[in-house]
Amino acid sequence: MNKKTFNLRSAAIAALCAVVLAGCATSGKRRVWSEPEPAVSSRPTPAPSPRPLEQGPIVERRGPQPGVQPAPDFPRNAEEVSGSAVTSLMRQARSALSAGQPAQAASSLERALRIEPRNYFVWSMLAKTYLAQNNYAQADSVAGKSNALAHGNVYVELENWRTIGAARQAQGDAAGAEAARERAQMLEQSLAERAPQ
Amino acid sequence: MPRHRRFPFRTLLLSALILVLSVGLIAFSVYLLGLDREIRGRFAGVRWALPAQVYASPLELYAGLNLRETDLVHELGRLGYREDPHLSGTGTYQPTRGRIDIHVRPFQFWDGVQAEQTLAVSFDGGVIAAIQRVDRAESPEIVRLDPMLIGSIYPSHGEDRVLLRLSEVPALLPAGLVAVEDRHFRSHMGVSLRAILRASLANLRAGHVVQGGSTITQQLIKNFFLTSRQTWRRKADEALMALLLERHYSKDEILEAYLNEVHLGQDGNRAVHGFGLGAQFYFNKPVAELQPHEIALMVGLVKGTSFYNPRRHPDRVKERRDLVLAVFRDEGLIDEPTYQQALAAPLGVDAGRIGGAERYPGFVDLVKRQLRGQYHDEDLTDEGLRIFTTLNPRAQEALERNIVETLPELEKTRKLKPGTLEGAGVVTSAEGGEVLALVGGRDVRYAGYNRALDAQRPIGSLVKPFVYLTALERPGEFGLSTILPDEPIELRMPHGQLWSPNNYDKELHGPQPLFRALAQSLNLPTVHIGLQVGAEHVLRTLRRAGYDGDAQPLPSMFLGAVGIAPLKVAQMYATLAAGGFQAPLSAIREVQTKDGEPLTRFPIQVKQTLPDGPVYLVDWALRQVVAQGTGRGVYSTLPPDVVVAGKTGTTDDYRDSWFAGFSADHVAVVWVGRDDNQPTGLSGSSGALPIWARVMRDLNVQSFDPIEPGSVETVLVDIQSGLRADENCVDAVSVPYLRGWAPADWAPCANGPVNPLEWLRNIFG
Repeated sequence: MNKKTFNLRSAAIAALCAVVLAGCATSGKRRVWSEPEPAVSSRPTPAPSPRPLEQGPIVERRGPQPGVQPAPDFPRNAEEVSGSAVTSLMRQARSALSAGQPAQAASSLERALRIEPRNYFVWSMLAKTYLAQNNYAQADSVAGKSNALAHGNVYVELENWRTIGAARQAQGDAAGAEAARERAQMLEQSLAERAPQ
Repeated sequence: MPRHRRFPFRTLLLSALILVLSVGLIAFSVYLLGLDREIRGRFAGVRWALPAQVYASPLELYAGLNLRETDLVHELGRLGYREDPHLSGTGTYQPTRGRIDIHVRPFQFWDGVQAEQTLAVSFDGGVIAAIQRVDRAESPEIVRLDPMLIGSIYPSHGEDRVLLRLSEVPALLPAGLVAVEDRHFRSHMGVSLRAILRASLANLRAGHVVQGGSTITQQLIKNFFLTSRQTWRRKADEALMALLLERHYSKDEILEAYLNEVHLGQDGNRAVHGFGLGAQFYFNKPVAELQPHEIALMVGLVKGTSFYNPRRHPDRVKERRDLVLAVFRDEGLIDEPTYQQALAAPLGVDAGRIGGAERYPGFVDLVKRQLRGQYHDEDLTDEGLRIFTTLNPRAQEALERNIVETLPELEKTRKLKPGTLEGAGVVTSAEGGEVLALVGGRDVRYAGYNRALDAQRPIGSLVKPFVYLTALERPGEFGLSTILPDEPIELRMPHGQLWSPNNYDKELHGPQPLFRALAQSLNLPTVHIGLQVGAEHVLRTLRRAGYDGDAQPLPSMFLGAVGIAPLKVAQMYATLAAGGFQAPLSAIREVQTKDGEPLTRFPIQVKQTLPDGPVYLVDWALRQVVAQGTGRGVYSTLPPDVVVAGKTGTTDDYRDSWFAGFSADHVAVVWVGRDDNQPTGLSGSSGALPIWARVMRDLNVQSFDPIEPGSVETVLVDIQSGLRADENCVDAVSVPYLRGWAPADWAPCANGPVNPLEWLRNIFG
């Protein structure tokens, strides 16, 4: 009960501050938190992307997470979030990958990661590159890394779960592959629901 | 009759003579054939054992890169680029206001050749604003400078070289060499009677050996077989081999071999062979960029590398160089203005570093160890492999400088005997596991005991984040605000003795929230928590973070009685920095054959070995260490708006001083102590911390700003009680918890659930 009321209050503060920002600011009763550093900013809560820790049994949450609302403004492709150098390196990687040179592609993507280490589009493509090299364990891990950085970006997570599914399938992990496919399907569905009818 | 009688005798004599001659001739032919085989084998077979060349990572230039003009000029200087308003050749640059033009050298990278090109790099307040090609319309998005050659892996007999082709060499070098050493090289048959006669005459006149009559071919053979014994037999062999060699190979082939073979200097037990390495060793640049005065100096060196050591006898060498320049001019190889210009030029020998390519022995040591598992020793010393490493010269410089400069400061302020403190450090990337810098001791050029890899010193409190992480993986029992007792503990050890740990300040502080116990590095709450989760589990956490030693799961481990080398500590903290994704540390990116064919890649590898939620919580606590705990001192150096996370480590009686921590982009670990393991009086905060903070400052690090995993929620908590707080609580902090495990009950200071209407009245009332 307490929890709920508190959430309600937080929401009320946020809403009110937005509406009567000036009033809030001059009321003199604005709350001042004494935390030593800025609070971690909240964001629309995406579906957590649980990854199996080590090689335990794969336990993944099934079904849609409560309150999952894919934000409509997730960047769809790397160009929207990457600098021009990284964009150019990703272009090189893409053409190397389609020319059947995954090692070349990986080399370009690693250069890109040195420039933007948290660019989840680059990690996502690196995962596909590992898949193309039949390095399934790394394809799985690197796609997971991309998910961890993706801020819940459905487009990227969808790609990553497909990669993970393919990697697990190729490793003979049928259950894991199935779980990944379900995640991918769930994300596809949420995208379809959002699409204008 | 007499004729008749004499005949058999003469016939006999003649026959004998012919026989002896024939046998002699056959023997001589066999001998010649032997020599022939020897010289051809030496020349054509494995002509040279080519040491592997080790390169630093190249500087990538692109718009948006944080790089000041002065940084780029410094970088170009390190690569041996010289200022030249005309950008007349590769390896030149010209700075103007807000812009640097560079004639970039061509380079065969792992993924292909980057051709030479002329770039205009423009700056805007410490950032590269644009990169444009001066020599062409379209401009690249990203350009690599050629990487710095940082070392080579040469065999135990010490011969090191960088192979050259005659076509890569400025024409003046072979022409000048011929003019000075062997004017009739193009016409003689390997041996020059004229030269021998002239030399003999000169020697007779002087009464001792002043001149050698050896041709370039003979000198090559002498160099091949590495002997300077002046026996007649040796000389005859040399002459014969010279004649044979000339029959099999062209003059250009012989000259090319000579350019690669000739001994040009000594660097400890490393012998510098050939003009390729010579140019690097003396002038820090490729041979193609040598200027006439530099060519003259190196040609002059051939006469005797120790007598004419340019670093030891600059005056003597200047005289010799000018003499060689005069020969160049007299032979018409250079014109008068060039001659005058060259005479006026300083020696230009790179004096800043002894042993050109042996700059970073600690790091190259790591490279060798990493390769040892994959390559045979002979592959590394003979095959001319090109090894592209992760070394970042800028990070390496920052780490070296701050260790070298801070240790004497510490000795002075602590009244320690100068030179008694030792230090080691490692800098890695936060994601992807690249070792960017490594220092194995305060004598950074000394290729000896590598403390960063081999000194397994107790890590003290550096272990605590892993103890707390083990606890935070049990959200039902522990959260960051869980109140821990700070009470004396006595433990009976397996050997029977009593273990009663203390806090560092030997005081008790009363119950503490978990995160503060970590931030203040309190020992007793840590032991308390460790005992609750169990040493086995803590050890397991250490292993998941990257520890691979054989420590026993004993309670003393909770306080860091585990010896771990700085590099491994960096591995473990990097796993924390990367949200639980472990990337095995690597010093190598790629290996190429000597012809530029890709051979091996060491790709990025990641694996989630620690759960993201608990790691996020520990990282949050490690930020508190620096914000308000034992790591506060970093902000006397770092700008206040740069967020970093880290931990101090101190061992019994102040024998080891550690600091380990990270920003968004870098992980760094610093150790300070004594080789004889005596106390230094330095804690983690007073010894290693200032070095760490200075390194991070010089690296211009990015604020640590981890992404909150979906498994975490953040709520406001009252620190006194560890319960939920609201705006009425004075001592409230936003604390992250694993989702669903935040405290549900309200602290006494909070009003608890409030009627929303009343709350609104409070705000606007």
